[in-house]
Amino acid sequence: MDKRLKQLKQPRVLIIIPAYNEGEHLLQVVESIRQCCPQWDYLVVNDGSVDDTENLCARHGICAVHLPINLGIGGAVQTGYRYAWKNHYDIAVQMDGDGQHDANFLKELLQPLVSQEADIVIGSRFISKEGFQSSLLRRAGIRFLSLLIRLCTGIRIYDVTSGFRAVNRKFIRIYADYYPTDYPEPEAIISAVMHQGRIKEIPVIMRQRESGTSSIRGFRSAYYMVKVSLSILICRITFGIRR
Amino acid sequence: MLSAKLMITLGIGLSIYFILILVFLKHRALDLRYTLLWIFSGIVMAVMVFFPYIFRAFIRLLGITSTMNGLFVFFIGMLMIICMSLTSIVSRQAGKLRTLTQELACLEKRIRELEEKKQED
Repeated sequence: MDKRLKQLKQPRVLIIIPAYNEGEHLLQVVESIRQCCPQWDYLVVNDGSVDDTENLCARHGICAVHLPINLGIGGAVQTGYRYAWKNHYDIAVQMDGDGQHDANFLKELLQPLVSQEADIVIGSRFISKEGFQSSLLRRAGIRFLSLLIRLCTGIRIYDVTSGFRAVNRKFIRIYADYYPTDYPEPEAIISAVMHQGRIKEIPVIMRQRESGTSSIRGFRSAYYMVKVSLSILICRITFGIRR
Repeated sequence: MLSAKLMITLGIGLSIYFILILVFLKHRALDLRYTLLWIFSGIVMAVMVFFPYIFRAFIRLLGITSTMNGLFVFFIGMLMIICMSLTSIVSRQAGKLRTLTQELACLEKRIRELEEKKQED
């Protein structure tokens, strides 16, 4: 696989955009990708949206798969990886459909994969500390999860909840086979480390979401922290057995 | 010590339990694969009810002095194992449903593209 990637001057890239009721903002995200990187394919994964997303995609010729039921972010992203694996893409990029991620950073995100420095590249808003930085409470939560991942694996990742990431074909296969379900980003990192993945973080500037609201609010924040911490610990403890 | 009256009551209860399982199996309302644990539990319960000496020896081994307390501990433990196996079945089914949904969406996309191509031709 690596040899094949080396041989290819232009790897086949798929940008996966999970979307749930993102509406017109999805169109802006797709337009920005079309302008920045017309040479790469993109796939909107409409995660059972109840708004006009399906018709919007049809009207504007957006390449999309429509999940008949809502699977949640993990299931939607995994659909993208499954599609990428079946259609022989060399690199897959995850990018949110709410306009948080800037398509101008896509080339920088892919560079370490093309030069084979890394297997997974994560766009981090906490390296250069520019752009939208999230609330104080959320940053504290992210720091805690980052510390937990560091304790479990010895690897330091600053933005563990970033959904702006790119993976090579090895990890397209791994994630197509298994991707964590709810709040999957930190667990996907630890799973990558357990599969001996080389992870690199690059600085990116993120924007505040243009549409919708975060699913992690109020009591869900507590559930999120408990669930994610537990899943990180369990993933670390059980991986040896599963492997 | 289980009284004769209690033994008869438990025996009738167990018979109803087994008849219910058989009825469900007959009407295919239960998959035999998922019923095995229930049948196994029933057999263990039958042994405990009709051969109480075995059960008493067993709970003495665990350090439980009262037979009734032993019965409760044993049945609660058994119910927990059944609940755990049910959760495991539900989780596996959820995984299969997720895969099916994803495959269905990819197939739908492929059909849509083929239809568009056909219309263009």
